[in-house]
Amino acid sequence: MEILHNLAFGFEHALTLQNLMFCAVGCVVGTLIGLLPGLGPLATISLLLPLTYSIPVQGALIMLAGIYYGAQYGDSVSAITMKIPHASSIVACIDGYQLTLKGRTGLALFTAGVSSFIGGTVAIMVLAALAPALGQVALLFGPADYTALMMFGFVCVSFVTTGSLINGLAMCMIGVLLGQIGTDVNSGQERYTLGLPFLVDGVSLVSVALGCFGIAEITKNLDSREDRSPFNGKIHLIPSWAEFKRIIPSALRGSVVGSALGILPGGGPSIAQFAAYALDKKVSKYKHEIGSGAIEGVAGQAAADEAAARTSFIPLMSIGIPENAVMALMMAAFIIKGIQPGPNMIAGHPDLFWGLVASMWVGNCFLLILNVPMVRYWLSVFKIPYNVLFPCILFFVCIGTFSVNNSLEDVLVTAAFGLLGYVFLRLELDPAPLMLGFILGPMLEENFRRALLLSRGSFSTFVTRPISGTLLGLVGLFVLWQVVASFLKPKAADVAHASEDEAAEPAQPASGVTS
Amino acid sequence: MTNRNLLRGLFLVAIALVFGLGSLKYPTGSFERAGPGLFPLLVSSLLFLLGVVTVVRAFIVERAPLNFNVRNIALILGSLCGFALISEYVNMIAGIVFMVFVATFAGTSYSVVRNIKIALGLIAVALFFQKVLGVQLPLY
Repeated sequence: MEILHNLAFGFEHALTLQNLMFCAVGCVVGTLIGLLPGLGPLATISLLLPLTYSIPVQGALIMLAGIYYGAQYGDSVSAITMKIPHASSIVACIDGYQLTLKGRTGLALFTAGVSSFIGGTVAIMVLAALAPALGQVALLFGPADYTALMMFGFVCVSFVTTGSLINGLAMCMIGVLLGQIGTDVNSGQERYTLGLPFLVDGVSLVSVALGCFGIAEITKNLDSREDRSPFNGKIHLIPSWAEFKRIIPSALRGSVVGSALGILPGGGPSIAQFAAYALDKKVSKYKHEIGSGAIEGVAGQAAADEAAARTSFIPLMSIGIPENAVMALMMAAFIIKGIQPGPNMIAGHPDLFWGLVASMWVGNCFLLILNVPMVRYWLSVFKIPYNVLFPCILFFVCIGTFSVNNSLEDVLVTAAFGLLGYVFLRLELDPAPLMLGFILGPMLEENFRRALLLSRGSFSTFVTRPISGTLLGLVGLFVLWQVVASFLKPKAADVAHASEDEAAEPAQPASGVTS
Repeated sequence: MTNRNLLRGLFLVAIALVFGLGSLKYPTGSFERAGPGLFPLLVSSLLFLLGVVTVVRAFIVERAPLNFNVRNIALILGSLCGFALISEYVNMIAGIVFMVFVATFAGTSYSVVRNIKIALGLIAVALFFQKVLGVQLPLY
């Protein structure tokens, strides 16, 4: 009953005219970037971060959250109609595109939209029930536990997003090191500033994100040099009753899988979709059809990726540690507005927390309308050629970086990170763990130093405390398993990774061939 | 053919060395009272280790080619730096025009008429930001 009471309280805040508007803006922008290749939620949220300085805190958070979960709706649309994958819609390209080839695009789009709606609704209930409870647990955490939790998060993110523990962990470390640039809060010592005055406050988060994700991604798309032809087929949206009945069980299964995976460190939409698809392949009544254009192949993964996008807010809002790169950016947005996410946030700012939760459901309704009845109009976005689009994206990158501090030097810093991001991309290093490391770095150092101060310099504090001991034990096991696996069959691992790459870029055969 | 795996390892080692050697300049302190140099030193040592492992692995696993297209990234970065410098010394409208005309060389086709249209559109958006949203832009 308490949850209902709290949700009602949240809706009071979410349903004000202003917040409804921010929610709608977030959903529209989210859908748009979900559709377009080359501009993911990470780059977009960092672009809009400067704008949030001037709008009220609740509106800002509602809008940024809307961008993130809205993008999960939009990316299934481009995957289904044109086989353009984003990180979280790789699986949608399989059955969704098969349905398009069969001329059932409308059915696939309807399925994806409705399943996402179901997934989102289930996840919001999980979020409302679990986040406050988990917040109580977080109060038991000391600095050593936080240090261990962040290490655990690094290991999980590295493995999940890149598939290679070494590469991912190295990127986390680089991120942590980049986060060291600037003034040390404890001693006032300037570190790695090269004597440049604009580096004293550290590298701007927006510069890192836009350089590594925006610029590098644009250049990658330009390198692949292909013109996509827009989708011109007919769309018949309303399914028959028999088809509709097939959506529900699969979507519910996907919602549960997605909600669970969204909470785990390193989790989120990109892994949830694979798990949900695999589960449907095992247990669905129509499992023999999956792979050749089955409704279940679209419904399960769409629900899972939407559910995971929302439950990934749980660790951030209850413990205060973001579990993936997008959540790390959301945390930056909270901090810009002077709010420390964590166990005290739900108690201290109940209007913010419950308002955000309620707005997610409002956003769900917006997105259902945007993505099912109005999907035709969205597809015309693809009529804009990339040659027009990318200078515009560049323009927003410039304005976005500039307006953080009104400093043109920041644009140069962004350019430097663009080069770095492009080098990472070509060396097959994924910048997502870097982002997490960059944002968590200062927190990690702070907690690490505090834990050692409390234990008088003894490292045993990390092992003897039950929470940190368990977490570090898991980290150890994971690393050991990876080391053994990589030295037993290095070749097999590399081949598996290569084929994974191919699966990840089915629509871009030309990428990386030009050189 | 450049070996991507080997290059990746060397790249990681290089970053670790830059930050690791840099951290030696700052007081390290003790574990009990950590100085500003201790934490970066620890992290870069770990990164160094990962880099060495990557280098070693590069000789075991199959070689992979490196694709690096200098032209596009140079054009994009050049247009960004040009934007910053021109905005600094002339004004931002000139910067926007410069950026559009340089960056589009990286596209699949080049058209002056289209560039003029894009530049005009972006200047209009910038004016909107300045006048309506109140973003401080040194447009002219």
